[in-house]
Amino acid sequence: MKYRSLLKTTAVMALLAATADTAMAQDKMMRVRINADIRSTDPGVNRDANSDAIVLHMVEGLVGYKDDASIAPLLAKSIDVTADGKAYTFKLRDGLKFSNGEPLTSADVLASWQRYVDPKTAWRCLKDVTGSGVASVTSVTAPDSSTVIFTLEKPTALFLATLARTDCGGTGIYHKSSIDAQGKWVKPVGTGPFLLQEWRSGQYVQLAANPNYVSPGGERTGYVGDKTPKVSTVRFMVIPDDAAAKAGLYSGDIDVISDLNNADVEELSASKQLKVDKVASMGLTGLLFQTRDPLLKDVRIRKALLLSLDIPQIAEALTNGQSPANLSVIPVPSPYSGKVQKDVPARDLAEARKLLAEAGYNGQPIKWLATKFYPSLFDAAVLVQAMAQEADINIEIETLDWATLLDRYTAGNYSAMSFTYSARLDPSLSFDMVSGNKDKSPNKVWDNPEGLKLIAESTTISNDKQRQALFDKLEGMIRADVPLIPLYSGTRIGAVRANVEGYKTWPVGYPRMWGVSFAAGK
Amino acid sequence: MHALSKYVAKRLLWTLPTLLIVAVMVFFLVRMIPGDPAQLILGDSASPEELANLRANLGLDQSVPLQFLYWLGNVLQGDLGHSISNGASVLPLMLDRFQVSAIIVLVAVALATLIAVPAGLIAAWRQNEHVDIAIVAASTLLMSIPSFWLGLMLLLAFGLKLGWLPVVGYVPFTEKPWTAITYVILPVVTLMLIEVGVLTRMMRASAIEILRLEYVMHARAKGLSERKVLLRHVLPNAFAPTWTMIGLVLGGLLGGIAVLETVFTLPGLGRLLVDAIFARDYPVVQGCLLFTALIYVIVNLIVDLCYPLFDPRVTAS
Repeated sequence: MKYRSLLKTTAVMALLAATADTAMAQDKMMRVRINADIRSTDPGVNRDANSDAIVLHMVEGLVGYKDDASIAPLLAKSIDVTADGKAYTFKLRDGLKFSNGEPLTSADVLASWQRYVDPKTAWRCLKDVTGSGVASVTSVTAPDSSTVIFTLEKPTALFLATLARTDCGGTGIYHKSSIDAQGKWVKPVGTGPFLLQEWRSGQYVQLAANPNYVSPGGERTGYVGDKTPKVSTVRFMVIPDDAAAKAGLYSGDIDVISDLNNADVEELSASKQLKVDKVASMGLTGLLFQTRDPLLKDVRIRKALLLSLDIPQIAEALTNGQSPANLSVIPVPSPYSGKVQKDVPARDLAEARKLLAEAGYNGQPIKWLATKFYPSLFDAAVLVQAMAQEADINIEIETLDWATLLDRYTAGNYSAMSFTYSARLDPSLSFDMVSGNKDKSPNKVWDNPEGLKLIAESTTISNDKQRQALFDKLEGMIRADVPLIPLYSGTRIGAVRANVEGYKTWPVGYPRMWGVSFAAGK
Repeated sequence: MHALSKYVAKRLLWTLPTLLIVAVMVFFLVRMIPGDPAQLILGDSASPEELANLRANLGLDQSVPLQFLYWLGNVLQGDLGHSISNGASVLPLMLDRFQVSAIIVLVAVALATLIAVPAGLIAAWRQNEHVDIAIVAASTLLMSIPSFWLGLMLLLAFGLKLGWLPVVGYVPFTEKPWTAITYVILPVVTLMLIEVGVLTRMMRASAIEILRLEYVMHARAKGLSERKVLLRHVLPNAFAPTWTMIGLVLGGLLGGIAVLETVFTLPGLGRLLVDAIFARDYPVVQGCLLFTALIYVIVNLIVDLCYPLFDPRVTAS
């Protein structure tokens, strides 16, 4: 009897201790590194990658991305598209609430949309929904409090993907109190799993768990599924220096780094204090040519440059073996990255020299722009210079800061450069990123009228097989013109302290702190 | 006293043309750097129309002289504008960041002075002896070490290996004073060590010069102890040039210790300026540089005003 009582007491104490551990773990602040301060908390307005990542913890749109970059309902519970593909009916989930406890209705969707399409808002994606971009929304109506209907001028396969885009702030729906009486943005009051607690300029952005978060249930994937917060507070700390961030992770001053350098993977993976995970990303790092350059306008010289390079070796060197070579604008994780896209031509110096001789190339220097802001871009230039030299191609590297390089890219004022593009989650957008009329958009590298027609066509087709056929055709055309040489899509590498549970790196790369917790008792 | 007030007023008046020249140079030079803030905000997918719209919203579509006049008009009313990057008002943003830099710089330079002055004096007193060689070697070594490297080594030792101090972050003194101290110890020590080298060399050089003067020989001849000779006759005179150097160091450092602020993740003025330059955040760059120039002028004015304390021959007249 005495022993039974002792056993009971011990069990109760153990349970209390475990509960206390769990409670303590939940109360502890999760600290996440960001490499620069955010620009604003206004979704899709004056934003950058860090701003998007944090804002998307607080607001949600009608639809969102899944881990594989496909689209799924988020605030919507169902989406019906008419047979002509012009009208989208979104049924809102039941019981949705903003973080201030107010219910979300279709009126809020309308109000948010009206602010988005007001040119004064300067929403990043305005042109994409008003005709000059992928879709033209002609009307948005709310027949009842839980239904919203978007009507488009023409059908497009990219409408939902545009609404979900991270740089559009996921077209997040916010409560009217997010804006003051003068129409000025105050702070996001959304339906996301977290709410804004404090933004201290240059130091941190602190979010608290949203007590009114309503989970749709289902698997946690991308920005959809169950996003219930498992820690009370998340602090995104501004740590610009990579070495300091790494030291902070080792010392336990921070818990999560969402975007680690390739070179650090081996070292951090060996530490028992840390966990590292990685996934192929949707970006593009490559070499761009100005096809109107007096020298590089000759496709034979561009082809010779391509043939002088050992692309797999360059990708291996630049990414420390973390990313495979990818000579397509379609990133490796895309379901449309098939056999055609995965083909990487072998290095052929003899053929390169032959093409150069045919083109009458006599060792004229090619100015190659690079930046050390992204070390891989400078390293790529150095490797290209060395390899091309073996084919008697004379490359002179000019190093610029990122802002200047971006300026030269925008103006098309370069002969060749190493460049990196942010992630595009649909192949049509990947092709659109590099293609266009150079007279109107000097930043575009591929100006091929037939190609542009095919890209436009690809945005209207929903059938996967038909789209794949179009993308294969486009792949052949762009490879024949060699306006650019993609090198690799990149790899997203995340590292967390060993006691952090539930953190997952994904192709988009932004940190997602819902469903992430500290292991009890650690 | 009247002469002093007139002197101060005159010096302050002289700052106005200096600041105007700085304002003109900063404004136009910043705009001569290639790079477009609108492009940096919108990224690689921006269309020409979007860029044009954003430039118009930011007022960058106006001619540069017109932008300057508009900005100068606002500056004269105490409005340094708003950050292009995040819309924050520049003046409060700058003052907030300046507090962080100022605490670290003032404490580090004060500690460096407390170490460097006696070290320099002793080295000069024992010139060419072992102690002098040791002090000169140590100060040369400290001067030669890059501040970021020293900072990283201290982080590695006291933050990572020993775990005594936090590695990243910052807590304001107004919130948790004791915790705040733990966050600034390493940057203060790093900066102090670097500046100790400079000030020791300066103090030693000027003390050696003073020690050779006849009045020091006279003081010794009349039987004063070495301690009294050094403290009464050498120190005040040798300290004057060091004091000038302290003024220059302070003026330079208060303008920003960007490298250390980056290594130690401190939200100081230097990091604000560097970030603003990379983002082509013109109002912040202009505000920070104007403020830095003002601080430099004020610090050097204070240094000049303190001169009579060490050298009675120097007066306002």
